[in-house]
Amino acid sequence: MNSDAAKEILSAYRSEDRDGADPIFHEALSHLENDAELKKWFEEQISLDRSIRQKLAGIEPPADLQAKILARIRGEKVRRSVFALPPAWLAVAACLVLGGLALFYSTRRGGPDRFQEFKTDALAMVSVQGGPQLDLETPNLNETQAFLREHKAPYYEALPSRLKSMETAGCRAFVWKDYPASLTCFLLPDGQFLHLVVINRAALDNASIPAGMKAMGDWHVMFQQKSGMLLMWASRAPMDQLKQVLVAMVGGVRGLAEVQKELRQHALPVSSEPVSSIEQ
Amino acid sequence: MRADLDLETIVSELYSPLYRFAFALTRNETQAADLTQETFLILTRQQAQVRDVTKIKSWLFTTLRREFLRGLRSQSSHPEVELKPEHQDLLVSDSAVSQAIDAGTVLQVLAKIEESYRMVLELFYLADLSYKEIAVTLDIPIGTVMSRLSRGKEQLRTLLAKTEPPGKNIPSSQVKNLPS
Repeated sequence: MNSDAAKEILSAYRSEDRDGADPIFHEALSHLENDAELKKWFEEQISLDRSIRQKLAGIEPPADLQAKILARIRGEKVRRSVFALPPAWLAVAACLVLGGLALFYSTRRGGPDRFQEFKTDALAMVSVQGGPQLDLETPNLNETQAFLREHKAPYYEALPSRLKSMETAGCRAFVWKDYPASLTCFLLPDGQFLHLVVINRAALDNASIPAGMKAMGDWHVMFQQKSGMLLMWASRAPMDQLKQVLVAMVGGVRGLAEVQKELRQHALPVSSEPVSSIEQ
Repeated sequence: MRADLDLETIVSELYSPLYRFAFALTRNETQAADLTQETFLILTRQQAQVRDVTKIKSWLFTTLRREFLRGLRSQSSHPEVELKPEHQDLLVSDSAVSQAIDAGTVLQVLAKIEESYRMVLELFYLADLSYKEIAVTLDIPIGTVMSRLSRGKEQLRTLLAKTEPPGKNIPSSQVKNLPS
């Protein structure tokens, strides 16, 4: 082995502890004893190699890199362990997931979101500029009820006489989330509308219905549950006027005590100044 | 590789040299960290395919390099940064060179070496791989590894000798996307 061949081999030499046992280096290393120039070259190379490694070791990984790697590995292990389940277990896991989803959506269906959705949709329908679209335009409440009955849409028949005597703008039969519903528009004395939206209570499942009159933007809204139906009243009329109408509607031909009882149930005030204290 | 491979121990021992190798390839801290993470993730997914535990180190560096090259191919282009060290025709001894260099300088100089030599040098210095492991990693004969190491080191020594002392070099933080 000449000096050049020895240099080529020794170029791959790292240190005694790592490569000292590798026989391929033994012969080349033995030449160092008899070749001073080769020995000087080798010592300088080892020194340079050590220095370069030390300098490059100064390239520090980000402090959180190891933790990130381990976290990703653990996450991957979990993911793989799930998909590595036998088919039967995988099927059970799939059923559990699907069951969970079904439960989630069934809960959502009857929850507050369902009610909020209905309220929002109904308000959007009656908020159309120029008034909502109507299937039948008539001032006669009886005609609207006949139309809704004919189209199998729910409507509330037992309205108080004061409301029954009001003119209507007309009505509309529609479907909300597969449930038939209706809209009847009353004309208040000042020309404003009072909308009545009726839908089967089952459409909202177990959603709790808030009592009392609510202000929603420039709308005043109130909900009632009657004969398995949900009644939603909505108007832009002033609260004073609306309350008078609704009190009359709630009271109907019944006695004052009965009216007050129902007003309390709906959180409507029964004091001598009921208008100003209506919940907003 | 065995199914019960202790991945966490492997990470603990090898993430630093893998990151340094990735940094030498990418010249970018974020890309190097991503590349290192991705390499270990691939090991996690494919550990059943690695039959020889003793070759994990080589396997990791091979995978990291392959992922780096795959990323390069997926890019339509990658920008190059001009290197402007004022070369001095100054021959100095190896010991003087070794005292005058820093990591940024080494990386800059490595970047100027032809790729076939540079890759061998980076695996030798950054990954601390043996010539046998380098041969496995790059899939080249052992004799080729040795000759490339020898010639590559000669180039490295010459270039380092011509490189400005620290303080006048381009900061390592500015050394990005060097041509491969």
